[in-house]
Amino acid sequence: MKNESIRAAIRFAGLVLPLTWTSGSLAAQMQATPRASAYGVSVSTPAVNQTSPAAVLPAGEMMATDQANDVTVADLVTAQNAFAIVNGDLTDGSGAVSTATLGAVNILNGLITADGVVAMASSTAENANAEGSSLASLVVNGVALDDPAPNTRVNLPGTGFVVLNEQIPTSGGITVNMIHVVLQQPVLNLFGGVIGYQTIGNIIVGSATSSVY
Amino acid sequence: MSPLRSLAGVTAIGAIALIAASCEANRQALAPTMGAPRFHFFVFQCQPLKMTGGGRIDYPPGTADKNPPASHEYETFGAHVIASGQLDENGVCVADKGALEWVDHRPEMNVNGSPLNLHATAVTFAELAVDTDCSDGAVHWGGKLRVQNTGQEDLDFEVWDCDNGEPGVGHDGFAIRVNEPIDGVGDYAVMCPDPDLPPAEPSCTLTGGNRQFHPTH
Repeated sequence: MKNESIRAAIRFAGLVLPLTWTSGSLAAQMQATPRASAYGVSVSTPAVNQTSPAAVLPAGEMMATDQANDVTVADLVTAQNAFAIVNGDLTDGSGAVSTATLGAVNILNGLITADGVVAMASSTAENANAEGSSLASLVVNGVALDDPAPNTRVNLPGTGFVVLNEQIPTSGGITVNMIHVVLQQPVLNLFGGVIGYQTIGNIIVGSATSSVY
Repeated sequence: MSPLRSLAGVTAIGAIALIAASCEANRQALAPTMGAPRFHFFVFQCQPLKMTGGGRIDYPPGTADKNPPASHEYETFGAHVIASGQLDENGVCVADKGALEWVDHRPEMNVNGSPLNLHATAVTFAELAVDTDCSDGAVHWGGKLRVQNTGQEDLDFEVWDCDNGEPGVGHDGFAIRVNEPIDGVGDYAVMCPDPDLPPAEPSCTLTGGNRQFHPTH
């Protein structure tokens, strides 16, 4: 009888313990991973490809930073006092926060100016938002714009258009680009008529991305 | 089956005892390493913890509302701390590691042409605050920092760090004080000692970002 009980206990353990291991393994596989990145200025054109300053949350770390007192990208963008700070916790995937801040921004020789840019993206398993983002003293093509709503588009004749406070939902998170200039040139037909526009470059000032998935 | 039941019973009792022992808070009183009023952050325990994340504060006034952007009255930061709940020989609850990057964008805080930028060079203590209104956890921690604008080194700092649920904006809080004068600035603190200001003074409510408390056993 005693041996029978021991055998029953072993059978019980043999059945239940593997279930426990499987459950734990699944939980580990399903653990969320936070991602965070931020940059001050990014220019992508056929002639220029530059991003500065930039911070990406590295594996095994909980914070990364980068900073530049003066940012100049060709004759396209200047900015001062740019900071990129990213935070997250890869060990338990509970959240991520990214921030890019800049001052004295000048894009395309004064076509767009701002004296303070904050891009902030925060993500947890339950929530992703761009709260904390802002544009100070923004002027676009000579027009002052106060606190533009998310994804405000303004046409820039001869240049393309700009999306202000651009907020893009991503898988488990959000990307916010505070100033995103899309450089375009017209596409002409055989008779010289404009039949459309093609994108030839992008300028992004103040970008923050975070996600948990 | 009775031997099996006995075996299960003994195992369960043992497991419960082990869990209870491992989770029991270390209630040894801690002498805060730096003087000054601590408002709701007044009672501490030394136990394993972790706080991560970053954010924005619009101080003054430090409420949940953003100031007009053109005012530049705001601060941004990233910060984390990890502690395993160990006391040193002086009774200080030591931190295992941590980091702080703090930027104060207020015009009056410009030093050498740049926003005041504080960078922690060492995080030395971290203790759980158990008398706050922070629903998920609150930590008082600090160490040494460098003023990046001037290179001034080894200034003592402390922060009051509050995770008050999700989302962090409008709920969580953060406050900082540097305990020696900063060259070109003088005494420096971003604290919101208002008893009516939730969630827990002296931390200022975040206008962006998130603080994430991780209880660890």
